Amino acid sequence: MKDWRYRRELAVAALLGCILLGLAIWAPAFYQAQPLLSLATREAPSLIVTCGMVIVILTRQIDISVGSMFSVCGVVCGLLAASGWPVWSLLPAGVVIGGAMGAVNGVFIAGLGLPSIVVTLAMLVALRQGLNLFRQGEFVTLPDGVQWFGMSQVHGQIVVLCATGVLVALLAYGLQRISLGRHFYAVGSDAEASRLAGLKPRRVTFLAFVFLGALTGIAAMVNVVQSPQVQPLSGYGMELKVIAAVVVGGVAISGGRGYLWGAAVGLLLLACISPALVYLHMEAYWEKAFQGAIILVAVLAEGLRARSARRHRTDFS
Amino acid sequence: MKFSAGSAWRRILFRHEMLLLVVLIVEWLLFLHFGTMTNRRGVTVGFGTLDRQFDILRHSCEIGLLALALTPIILTAGIDLSVASLLGLCAIVFGQLTHDVGLPLSLAIPLTLLAGGLGGAVNAGLIAGLRLPPLIVTLGTYSLFRGLAEAMTGGAVTYTQFPSGFLALGQGRWLGVPAQAWIFVGVAVGMWMLVHRSVAGRFIRVIGFAPEGAQYAGVRVGKCLTFVYVLAGLVSAAAALVYTARLGQAKADAAVGYELYAITAVVLGGTSIFGGKGSVTGTLLGVAVIAVLKNGLATLPVVIRMNSAEELSGLLTGGLLLFALVIGMLPKLLSAVCIRR
Amino acid sequence: MTFRFRTGFFLSILVPVFLAASASTVLAQGKAMIALMPKSKGNAYFISCKAGADKAAKELGVELLFDGPVDANAARQNEIVENWITLGVDAIAVAAENKEGISTVLRKAQKQGIKVLTYDADSLPDARSFFVNQATPEGIANALMDEAARLCNSTGQFAILSASLTAGNQREWQMYIEKRLAEKYPQMTLVAVRPCDDLKDRAQSEATALMSANPELKLLMAICSPAVPGAAEAVKQAGRVGSVKVIGLGLPNENRRYVKEGVTQTVVLWKTEDLGYLTVYAANALVNGTLKPGATSFKAGSLGEFAVDKDQILLGTPFLFNKTNIDDYNF
Repeated sequence: MKDWRYRRELAVAALLGCILLGLAIWAPAFYQAQPLLSLATREAPSLIVTCGMVIVILTRQIDISVGSMFSVCGVVCGLLAASGWPVWSLLPAGVVIGGAMGAVNGVFIAGLGLPSIVVTLAMLVALRQGLNLFRQGEFVTLPDGVQWFGMSQVHGQIVVLCATGVLVALLAYGLQRISLGRHFYAVGSDAEASRLAGLKPRRVTFLAFVFLGALTGIAAMVNVVQSPQVQPLSGYGMELKVIAAVVVGGVAISGGRGYLWGAAVGLLLLACISPALVYLHMEAYWEKAFQGAIILVAVLAEGLRARSARRHRTDFS
Repeated sequence: MKFSAGSAWRRILFRHEMLLLVVLIVEWLLFLHFGTMTNRRGVTVGFGTLDRQFDILRHSCEIGLLALALTPIILTAGIDLSVASLLGLCAIVFGQLTHDVGLPLSLAIPLTLLAGGLGGAVNAGLIAGLRLPPLIVTLGTYSLFRGLAEAMTGGAVTYTQFPSGFLALGQGRWLGVPAQAWIFVGVAVGMWMLVHRSVAGRFIRVIGFAPEGAQYAGVRVGKCLTFVYVLAGLVSAAAALVYTARLGQAKADAAVGYELYAITAVVLGGTSIFGGKGSVTGTLLGVAVIAVLKNGLATLPVVIRMNSAEELSGLLTGGLLLFALVIGMLPKLLSAVCIRR
Repeated sequence: MTFRFRTGFFLSILVPVFLAASASTVLAQGKAMIALMPKSKGNAYFISCKAGADKAAKELGVELLFDGPVDANAARQNEIVENWITLGVDAIAVAAENKEGISTVLRKAQKQGIKVLTYDADSLPDARSFFVNQATPEGIANALMDEAARLCNSTGQFAILSASLTAGNQREWQMYIEKRLAEKYPQMTLVAVRPCDDLKDRAQSEATALMSANPELKLLMAICSPAVPGAAEAVKQAGRVGSVKVIGLGLPNENRRYVKEGVTQTVVLWKTEDLGYLTVYAANALVNGTLKPGATSFKAGSLGEFAVDKDQILLGTPFLFNKTNIDDYNF
């Protein structure tokens, strides 16, 4: 059987295309420059976190603490800004805070060899509740000049989108073309084999978590500059959205297989559901059910493909 | 052979369950000491009262039931993120059956359990039938079940005014003990028999250790997996009934986030997330440690004045989970260091 | 060795037991303890209530507990009330997330001799002695609807942003808004009601989508406080300032910027600090026995006399904040 290289990613992109086409026919109002720009800007933080999650899942790990890390980074950066730090210094601050939290995950997972899902579950609960304990759920009000970096809103949105685009493109390129990027794939396919080939799987896994943490910090900043206040609940449920996007985008949960741009298309697909429901004048309550169904269809497609591939292969066992 | 007596002791002492038991006793005694007091009406209140102890039982029943349902699943190296969402869906199904359809309890309860079983069967079909990764399948059904519950009620309808006989299941006492405790004990005993005293239980562990090997050893892996996921659906439905009876309301947001606490309890109880290793006793102790911590903290005057009992207990639970993981790794780490030398 | 270990083990258990039995702390001698529960404690609305409650507690010399869920969660409210019952507080005042859900546990509290009130959002009437009502639901709904009609010249489309579709008081307000709409403003149409889960970001996304999906939309009405700045930000970002008007129930401080920029036209609210203040005074009066069922009026410290209508204490009528007067208020 002939296997296209980007089969899965193209299928998701085609589905996204169908939804966009459907909207063009039944709800052409969807295609207005300003609302689309706003929609894209609102999804930019999730997109950045998705990129980090792709790296972690490629190394056959998972991180469900991103939502809590996102909240913590956002609130801490907000507090720093409120205490008078200049806007430009917030981005490195976010990267450092996020990276540090990612490093804690990395130490437990790569250093001590503990299961990533449990370690990050503990981090999810501990960070979220720690933040609640510290802030009691209160909003952080930002000083003037933080929103859109002090620029006009349209300029700010364009800057945010361009920066996100460049970042995602760099990451996508790096994952395929830089040796460290290939190392993530190698460790995720077979950690032992990669060790024998001279890589250091533990170091690579550790780096994957630090990357995700740092990217979450950047994403939190991209979120902070979009509004004059920071709500501590802002990252609530983000982990599931991001993991769903990665899976829908064709990155194998068993590691070592998939493309970053596939995950990005997956995120766009999931992000389109909510506005699509509004534009098609349907009830809002179906949103979650639709998201669940899309995840199931994606995993089902993957399973059927794997099954037929197994059947077509000569059986050596 | 000189050390055999000592090492037998050590084996018991260093068992994970023993460690948890010590933690449980210590925290229980600490809360008994610092959390019991006399209020200004001269009444003894706080942790040391029987009422409070029963409250702990009541509050932990639903999470306990979900944790019990998850234990065999995690033993097969699987996971089920959808249990709490299924609980919400079952609560809505029960509400609709009793209110909109007008069925009597004697029919509505079995039908709700059936709905739970069906929900579990959806997971089972995808995981056992098509061999899809449980994490992703149940992530999908996590959204799907909750989404259906919201869609069925428009996110707004709240079912209340259940017959008092049903509410007694969650608020009354049978034989001096909160009624739902009996259900919990029943499910716990059943689960213990299944995991530790039956052939199926051994198969479940084998699958967790080596699914391929289990297949070749003649274990019907598909059948076994189907069984544990459907069972989890049934237990979630039972938890939905208990939850509805305790709060006296069925709403689409029932038990949001409980899956995290249930998984935490199972893992804290020493069940390996990679499967094969773990026990029902451990899960029960894990549930108890978390429940006593959460409720005990809420009786300490210092914590009450901080107005943040929930947050503090969450923080400590997360820390405790990491601590338990590291402790569990210690022997391995030490031996690794020794070999390297 | 076995023996010694066992003895040691049992001793280590028994000693703390005796310690526990011998020492029981006495809690808050002489001071009444009043527990106040918000719907969600990070919400600026309730933080402002707490400021008033703190002031009242200081004046009265009572101890005030203030705890609630971080996200509006009915089950979590029940658990906190149960904690308070076992603690034996003197009075509990709750802003109920869910009318029926909270009532069972409040009845339990009453049975134990604890005085129970509700404020902001009511429980079932038999589960509490009094409801401190900020304004009648009808009054709030009418104020909002009339203001909306005034801004739109009584014609055109508008949409509502609510907290969750499950919250009791939101449903009630919405119902009265629709009633007022049908009775007085037949030229106006309500095109959609969208939930935002008390999240500002979500409200912003919803408002953006609503505006694009309904190009004729003339007004957004936000009936939960985080949604007002969310809707205003969406209107501002869409560049529709003035053509889409924003009104809502919210706090002056959160909306000051938008009101001054002309994005948000009117913010409707009662004095939230007074609500907290009044609630604590009422709770204390119930504990002392100075406020009894059947009373017709009641005096609350520096705020003076309040009318009691059967089992409801009325704070007053809602207040409209706009460009001209918003700078006079800071909460």
